[in-house]
Amino acid sequence: MQLASRRNLLFAAVILLCLAIWLAGAGGWLEYHSSRAVLAPPGLGHWLGTNEIGQDVLIGLILATPTTLTLAMATAVVTVSLAVGAASLVVFGGPFLSALMLRCVDVLQVVPTMLLLLLVAALVSPGFTALFLLLVLTGWSDDVRVAAAVLRREALRENVQYARVMGAGWFYCWRWHLFAALRPLLGALMVQNIRQAALKSAGLGFLGLTDPRLLTWGSMMQSAMDQLYTGAWMWLLLPPAALLSLLLHTTLKLGDRRLRSGAVLGPVF
Amino acid sequence: MSFVHRFIRPRFLAHAAAAGLALGAAQYFGLGAEALMAAEPDRQRPLVITDSKGDRGMLAPYVHRKNGIAYLYTSYIFDTLVSQDADGNSVPGLARTWTRSQDGLSYALELQRDAKWHDGTPVTADDVTFTLRYMAEHPYVFGSVKALAGIEIEGVHDLRIHIKRAEYGLVEGLFSAIPILPRHIYEGVKDPFRFATPEAAVGSGPYRLAAYDKAQGRYRLEATEDHPLGRPRFDQIWIVKMGPDAALQAMSAGEVDVISYLPPDRLPEALDAGFAVETSPSDHVLRLGFNHRGQFQKIELRQAIAYAVDRSALLAIAFPGVAELAETGYFQPGSKWQSDEATEGYAYDPAQARDLLLAAGWTQNRAGRWQTQGEEIRLRLLTDGREVKPARVIAEQLEAFGFAVDLRVMEVAALRSLVADGDYDLTLFSSSTLGDPGNIRRRVFGRGWNSDRFPADPKMAGLIKAQAVAQSQAERQEILARFQQLYAENLPSYMLVNPLMATVFNDKLSAPFMPGGVAIGIPSALHKSIFLE
Repeated sequence: MQLASRRNLLFAAVILLCLAIWLAGAGGWLEYHSSRAVLAPPGLGHWLGTNEIGQDVLIGLILATPTTLTLAMATAVVTVSLAVGAASLVVFGGPFLSALMLRCVDVLQVVPTMLLLLLVAALVSPGFTALFLLLVLTGWSDDVRVAAAVLRREALRENVQYARVMGAGWFYCWRWHLFAALRPLLGALMVQNIRQAALKSAGLGFLGLTDPRLLTWGSMMQSAMDQLYTGAWMWLLLPPAALLSLLLHTTLKLGDRRLRSGAVLGPVF
Repeated sequence: MSFVHRFIRPRFLAHAAAAGLALGAAQYFGLGAEALMAAEPDRQRPLVITDSKGDRGMLAPYVHRKNGIAYLYTSYIFDTLVSQDADGNSVPGLARTWTRSQDGLSYALELQRDAKWHDGTPVTADDVTFTLRYMAEHPYVFGSVKALAGIEIEGVHDLRIHIKRAEYGLVEGLFSAIPILPRHIYEGVKDPFRFATPEAAVGSGPYRLAAYDKAQGRYRLEATEDHPLGRPRFDQIWIVKMGPDAALQAMSAGEVDVISYLPPDRLPEALDAGFAVETSPSDHVLRLGFNHRGQFQKIELRQAIAYAVDRSALLAIAFPGVAELAETGYFQPGSKWQSDEATEGYAYDPAQARDLLLAAGWTQNRAGRWQTQGEEIRLRLLTDGREVKPARVIAEQLEAFGFAVDLRVMEVAALRSLVADGDYDLTLFSSSTLGDPGNIRRRVFGRGWNSDRFPADPKMAGLIKAQAVAQSQAERQEILARFQQLYAENLPSYMLVNPLMATVFNDKLSAPFMPGGVAIGIPSALHKSIFLE
């Protein structure tokens, strides 16, 4: 009990700290500007050093956090929801809908992403929303087949069949049986999508689809890549990469409570 | 199982044998080459030049890529009438002499008597005449023959070229720019822009194209015999695609002789390794372009932006040690056309900028954001992938001054169409100021995305016309001095910084950057004269 309350306290402290950082970023209390101290190594003036145009890396990380989290989380949630929805249609929607859905997925996977990007860029004015749309549009089709395979397998299980025979509808089964079985997979898919969103969003800036100054961990990592030949990658690349893996790790843990409780399925050694 | 074995074993053996052979051969030839290098003079070894970009197209006038480097490589294969010496002065090329007539309306040319095409056919006045007429029909991107009125053949090696107006810059312009084509090859070609067979690259230059690998971006040039301008110094020149890292490593390993353009921030590595390094301001000036048909029609607004941009901060942040502050009056220091009279410098002065904007009717709200007719001004700044770093700094400076800036980095194709549609306020681009001033018209009034796109200003256009028909260099310089004053004042675009360029050589050869640029104004040290004895 004591351990749990201490953990809760720690959790609350972390949340508060995040909130403070978030507010600092949104409230404009931190100034992220270029300076003549270009590629300065970490030191007293700049705790995490400066980048190729003299911007403070620590401030950049703080300011990038809200954008990155919002973008990555929103994209991942919407992408995975779309994918699971589409997978449900594939499994339970009858032959016509199923075929239609699968062909849509096929088309999206075959069509070069660039074409889609250009299409969206022509329709929406570039910016955060466009970036979100692009990431969702180019991401959801990848997960449909995986989710459909798991759903199909789960739908044939005895518990579901039994529930069906007892008169439960598909919606009930989905809610109480299939979703539970899907959860570990959802966690994994979320992680995959968060990672993709963070990295892809940086690349899109160079297609003119966003302002390249849109600050995310991904864009910070991308601009660090130019400094691989100098020693500066150590303080430019590692901090955002570490934050990104922390985020992925947290998502994975939150997504699958069974991992946290130690109840791992499979052989025990 | 035995079937599988039967299938695999012979193949495995064959692979092993091939690998062994290759290793042995490499060792053998490697040793052989080393031994040769020690014993033979320069000429016996291929000269290897690296190019970070790679494919420049087939090295023939109509099918090479439309950039300076592609033109430069092509110039090793195709001669022009007039060439350059190490100081950039005009010296004989295919033409042994050229004489301007009294009235300035014609030039008498005498061609080299022993010049030959790479297939052995002699070069005659007929080929020159053919080329000039052919280029009137099929315009060549790096030289216009519009100024010519007619051509008379006066002998096998003599001809007279008549021009419409007594232009002074013809020798350094047209005669130095246009590659002469072999009539017997190009005569039957209806569409030279699709003529890219090896035949298209038959020229009269000191080197001939022996092999071209488009996919790898590689060229192998071989020396010709008896070139009238001198004996080629190297038997072969290889041009290979290689990034800076690979090039520096390969040079240390002795596999590469020249790194054509090393990013200047990598210079310390080259110097540490003991290579000869030549640097020069590129005169490919980074400029802030304005949409003269949109927000920035008024001269005061352009000047205000110039005062609001802190160029020395830009230099220190985005180009530390690898660029100089640019002259705002078009020509850069070192150019023989640069005027001594100081042009307007636009030192960073936000107060002056504010006054100019207020005078032009723009207003600033309480939060310090600039507005016009009650609407916040949002400046759309376009650039391509190469200038992201300075673009971020400039966007930041303009935002600090009170503009909302929408920065877009795009592919050149997308950039071109946006600029053509006028869907922008500012552009950040690099463009050369080298070459004969005859090209100013295109660079200032032209419609390309990396031209200033300045609407024809009668005063400036008049000066450009006047300098073309001036009768002496001094007169031209005087007219161009006035042009530079006007350029700095009118700001067709705002010259920001002049980045340095660097070429790295090993001990085989080295040469400084050609003053004033090679031929059409290419900032380079690799003029073909350095490959001749």
